[in-house]
Amino acid sequence: MARIGRIVVAFLVLGLLAAWWITRPQVVAADELPDHDPDPIAGERVFWAGGCASCHASLVDGKRARDGQKLLLGGGLEIDTPYGVFRVPNISSHADDGIGRWSMIDFTNAMQRGVSPSGRHYYPSFPYTSYAKMPTEDVMDLKAYLDTLPAVEGRNAGHALDFPWSLRRGIGAWKRRYLNAAAVIVVDSIDPMIERGRNLVEGAGHCGECHTPRDMFGGLQPARWLAGAPNPEGEGRVPNITPAGDNIAAWSVGDISYYLESGFTPEFDTVGGSMVAVQENMAMLPPADREAIAAYLKSVPARE
Amino acid sequence: MSYAKIRLSLVAVTLAYASLAIAGDDPRHVRHELMESVGKAAKPVGNMLKGERDFDAEVLMSSLRTFEDAAGRFGDLFPDDSRTGEDTEAAPAIWEDRAGFEEALARWQTAVADAIAAQPDTLDAARPVAEPVFQACKACHESYRIDDED
Repeated sequence: MARIGRIVVAFLVLGLLAAWWITRPQVVAADELPDHDPDPIAGERVFWAGGCASCHASLVDGKRARDGQKLLLGGGLEIDTPYGVFRVPNISSHADDGIGRWSMIDFTNAMQRGVSPSGRHYYPSFPYTSYAKMPTEDVMDLKAYLDTLPAVEGRNAGHALDFPWSLRRGIGAWKRRYLNAAAVIVVDSIDPMIERGRNLVEGAGHCGECHTPRDMFGGLQPARWLAGAPNPEGEGRVPNITPAGDNIAAWSVGDISYYLESGFTPEFDTVGGSMVAVQENMAMLPPADREAIAAYLKSVPARE
Repeated sequence: MSYAKIRLSLVAVTLAYASLAIAGDDPRHVRHELMESVGKAAKPVGNMLKGERDFDAEVLMSSLRTFEDAAGRFGDLFPDDSRTGEDTEAAPAIWEDRAGFEEALARWQTAVADAIAAQPDTLDAARPVAEPVFQACKACHESYRIDDED
């Protein structure tokens, strides 16, 4: 009897060790970074494509930042979700409260592996599963740009999540299933403009995070890529933006680019909801980038 | 037909008219129709700005007049008892932040008045006065209109 007890305990211990091993944070080593001279000008473009300010800009009187206020990245926004409350951290260049002391490899691991400099998993409310698909050179350029932005004082409280989501280590298992650098839409040969659009939409722009439905574990469903999903922030739905989408089906590449630039649909209705902030960020990109996004959206498989 | 029946049908007809009149005056309907007319007027002007339609000063002025009329009447169409119902897209913020809503509306009125006063006769002259009109639409919708797509 005692022997069976010991065997059970041994299996339990082995199981826990295996789980610990499977869920360990996995990082890139500094010498694996590409040989690239980080360019802050190129990084500014990544900053707007990624919409970093939409979550990380300090709130102004409780409201979202506008124009120049978007460069003050003190965080503080609270995102109320079924998992609990996520609180957005300070990513300004402040040495103590922000990420001013981070090295290039710290930043890359945060963005593309969802791992903090101290080796802890980030929650995927920070959409690193999308950023993992960015060219690492773009991530490095972004860091160079963020380094030029003002230091903002103040640390925000941590997330307040419900059990079992509060068990951070479990994210390691989730990442095994959902975190990879591979493109979502893979084709044999790709037009350079569509490829640029794919980088922007699937990577920095993280469009799929709202426009693609999630499965029961909260991961995106690649088979329903950009096919529309319930609004994570309230009622209604985030629209289908594949060529089968109700509205977008009739829009030309020019219409989509113009919408991203101006916020007006071909019927001259205005952009609404959380897409307003996204559109205003997209308006900061060079016209060729908006066109690339539009060309990519026209090229993805139509999904009902 | 008896008098009673005639009286009854008269009452019925009167009631039907009364409910029609009420429906017609319902601010939720009036403002919806008004916005529909604004949208229709915006499209040709937007297409001029977008470069998809030749500039036409007459069309522009006619649209601006439609905006002027709507902007002048719009403020009175959000009484307290019209917050919900009839699929209204009016956001609760209209009543919770009335001053902000009035300010957003005033921004539209001013932009429209400025554009009319400018009497633009070329696209280059129209652009700087028409764009603020469109931006005012967008800014107000962002805060004071419910957006649940699909």
